[in-house]
Amino acid sequence: MKKRGLVFLSMFFVLSFVFIAQNNAQNSVKGGSGLVGSEVCKDCHEAQYNKFMGTIHGKKAIPGSPANKAACESCHGPGDQHVEKGGGRGVAIFAFSKKESSTDRDAKCLACHTESRGLPFWDLSRHQSAQTTCDNCHSVHSPAQGKNYLKAQEPDLCFSCHKNIMTQTNKQSHHPIREGKINCSSCHNTMGTSYNGKAMIKADSVNELCYKCHAEKKGPYAFEHPPVEEDCLLCHAVHGSNHSRLLTRRVPLLCQSCHDSGSHPTRPYTDLHSFTGTATQNKNRFFGRSCLNCHGNIHGSSLRAGFDR
Amino acid sequence: MKAKIIIVAMMICLVPFSHALSQDNKTIEGEINLTGVWIDVNGEEGGEAKATEYRDLREDGGLYGRARFKLDTDKYFLNFEAGDFGYHTQYYQIDGGMWGKFQLNLFYNEIPHNITFDARSLFFKPGEDTLTGAVNTNFGTWNTFDYEILRRQYGGGFKVDVIRPFFFDVSFARENRNGIKPIGAAETSPGGRAFELPEPVDYVTNNLVVSAGYARKPLFLSLNYFYSDFKNDNVALNVPANFSATVPRAISLPPDNTYHGGTVKGALSLPFNSRISTNVGYSSGSSETPIVARMLPAPSAYSGKSDTLNCDVALTTNPLRFLDAKIYYKYYKRDNKSDDPTGVVNTFLDYKVITYGGELGLRLPQKFYLSGGYKYVWTDRDDEGETDPLLLPPANMDNNFFVDLKWSGLDFLEARAGYERLDRDVHYRSPQSAADPRRQFSYAAQKRDTVKAMLDIFPLENLNFGLEYRFKNTDYTDTTYGLKSEQGHEVEASADYSLGKIAKLYAYGNFGWVKYNQLETAGSGLTGDWRATQWDENWGYGIGAEIYVIPKKLTLVFQHDYMKSDGAVDYTLPPSLFVAGTGLAGANNSNIDIGRWDDYTLYSFMIKAVYNISKHFEASLGYAFETFSYNDAQLDNYRFAPVGPPNSNAAFLSGAYKDQSYTEHLVFTGITYKF
Repeated sequence: MKKRGLVFLSMFFVLSFVFIAQNNAQNSVKGGSGLVGSEVCKDCHEAQYNKFMGTIHGKKAIPGSPANKAACESCHGPGDQHVEKGGGRGVAIFAFSKKESSTDRDAKCLACHTESRGLPFWDLSRHQSAQTTCDNCHSVHSPAQGKNYLKAQEPDLCFSCHKNIMTQTNKQSHHPIREGKINCSSCHNTMGTSYNGKAMIKADSVNELCYKCHAEKKGPYAFEHPPVEEDCLLCHAVHGSNHSRLLTRRVPLLCQSCHDSGSHPTRPYTDLHSFTGTATQNKNRFFGRSCLNCHGNIHGSSLRAGFDR
Repeated sequence: MKAKIIIVAMMICLVPFSHALSQDNKTIEGEINLTGVWIDVNGEEGGEAKATEYRDLREDGGLYGRARFKLDTDKYFLNFEAGDFGYHTQYYQIDGGMWGKFQLNLFYNEIPHNITFDARSLFFKPGEDTLTGAVNTNFGTWNTFDYEILRRQYGGGFKVDVIRPFFFDVSFARENRNGIKPIGAAETSPGGRAFELPEPVDYVTNNLVVSAGYARKPLFLSLNYFYSDFKNDNVALNVPANFSATVPRAISLPPDNTYHGGTVKGALSLPFNSRISTNVGYSSGSSETPIVARMLPAPSAYSGKSDTLNCDVALTTNPLRFLDAKIYYKYYKRDNKSDDPTGVVNTFLDYKVITYGGELGLRLPQKFYLSGGYKYVWTDRDDEGETDPLLLPPANMDNNFFVDLKWSGLDFLEARAGYERLDRDVHYRSPQSAADPRRQFSYAAQKRDTVKAMLDIFPLENLNFGLEYRFKNTDYTDTTYGLKSEQGHEVEASADYSLGKIAKLYAYGNFGWVKYNQLETAGSGLTGDWRATQWDENWGYGIGAEIYVIPKKLTLVFQHDYMKSDGAVDYTLPPSLFVAGTGLAGANNSNIDIGRWDDYTLYSFMIKAVYNISKHFEASLGYAFETFSYNDAQLDNYRFAPVGPPNSNAAFLSGAYKDQSYTEHLVFTGITYKF
């Protein structure tokens, strides 16, 4: 038993050594240690230089901006070897290409932006753990959208990865996302939140986020509907749904997934209960808005339990 | 009026920036666009509203304007953007300041939500809090009104950077929400006639957020305060005496509420490339409901109070280049401290959620990245005052596991696969609820498996393909009656190709399928179990192109989208339920299934030509067509006043969500001046 443990431990250290060696090899610093100055960069990269100077990074009025440091070389690293070797994409220079690791690319941005008020929790961002890098979404030199230097406008930028969310927002019942009245960053903090939450929402709980726009649902009501107070997502698909009011399922079956005691909540309501159906009773529990025909205050009531039947 | 005030305020804000115009090194750019739109919507009342759900295109057409202005100097910046002047989608936003010193912004925005036009009200004065009139089934004489809500949002903010590394932010936003939405009420319950009524919406919400903090390595710290209040002009919707056989009724409307609270957020960098982050917050809220004499049973007063507490802490570390790790803990508590309305037996939900877990990420050779993690969630609920042992809410214990593998070993390909597992256990509060075969899906024990796979291929710099697949299966393992299982598949694909100066092409497609399996017992008065299997299936595709017919001069834009949804329910009933008590006497299992449940087809295409007349002028001309075809078992062949007997077949409805199908033609032409 002891022997097996020793073998396992040895293997662990050998593997660790291999990984470290390999990672360190990958991390061999590109470029030398000598700065050449941005005027030298401009000689070959005038268009990029001019764009850079027009961006927030080129503003000397901002303390700590690249313009107040080493300009181009603040992000791309020292350029002496790049110049010596006659230039070329990624030749002895940090080019923010896919060949450079996501950690290295992020580190260049985080060297300054960790100090920004908008980015203290990047380490906890799901984007970070999914190896999404800053330059996947932002373009310093040629942004499509000026604000935040995004490569494309929201929500298209987000949809380029989150394809299933795009599908949901195309459904007949949706928040006005594709109409441009709210966008992904209205609800999500793409840079991470203090808690390791999967959806990176801009609130401590789902309900607190929803209440920001739907304050009337906040209560506290005299008569509560317990699951409502706990999680809006139990009944609503927030990005979009085939069912009106963003419901995950159609009423009455949605309601009957919990309410299955007594008499009328437990009855089957079928096609024959539709407006022209031949059912002989209970039709007003199905046609129109079904359960909501009578239970109007489903999010809570100040009147009585049963939500104002 | 408020829009005008905001616009004037924005103009005044421009004055300090006049100095910026005298700066030497300045960039001024912007554009002004004017677009004429002619629109023709063919549809019933619901269709016209659906076609313009979040838009203001109700009239035959109009003239729409849009403007953008940007001023940038070495010291100052100013951005202004506005559009849809005079329409219910209009927006104005301005932000400006001194680089590195301060930034201020103001905004005004309108968001309409059209639900159904020309709905009908049995009673007079729809939109007011007291309806008048008498019950009658001649819906041709009923009053018409629109179910629509309009949000008017405005506010501003100020950010101070000059005190770096300290910062200070303040923002304020106000929203006025007005309109009418549907609300239901029953004459008597159970078994009475249903009434769908116009609920007046006259809300005002104010939100104030103040933040101050410090941000310099290794420390980030911010103190935040927020205040929110919500006011509803209407306490109740009063309904005439003859609504009910007994007494006049009042339907309660959302009560006013006020919330305020504070949070402390912090992050500290530690040795070994580690960082600890935390967020501690507390909020307290209250709501007041004035005495409404006609409430049943009549409470003398109600005062609601609810507090929430959140504490979370996380430690992340990247001590070795191949290793990422994080551990986290979160405590969230909601404490409902409301007073019982006098003379009413009531319950109030308290709950707390404790979450903790850890994740590990490994950078492996050949550009593999393997990550995995575990999360435990304990949700403890207490419905204060609940005495029925069957209704005591249970506690949940969730064990979550996940593993993800990403490979980016080839320059032209990225692949990812993942698996997640949720095991939810339940602790029931009483022997009675533990033994009860009925389960609420929100609390029930479940095992959920999620599998996902993604593939991105970019063989050329200008060619990208993406493919995604997701499978989710949930079994409610302890449920005899209730929702027993859910199963779903999702597939998404996309491609885009850029042909240099010739064209840009893109396409996408998607398919989704979900099935719910539910078993119910017929309940009191009847015996037998019935089963409902519900399907939702949707698929869609889109193609688009930008064709540069004359490069930098004439561009043709084309887009076509298609979306289809098909919903159905397969019911299986025992013979004992084909009786009068269910309304199904004489029916059988072959004629009760629902074949159309939120079935719809959305088909649209748009073609547009954009011509650059000169460096400063651009003209566009286009045509768009959209058709939405909707079928639904609950809304087809709509009746405003279906009649009994018995009363459980009767209702007085207002038309909410009826006839949502439409066909829309839209022609537009615009001119843009750029500077």
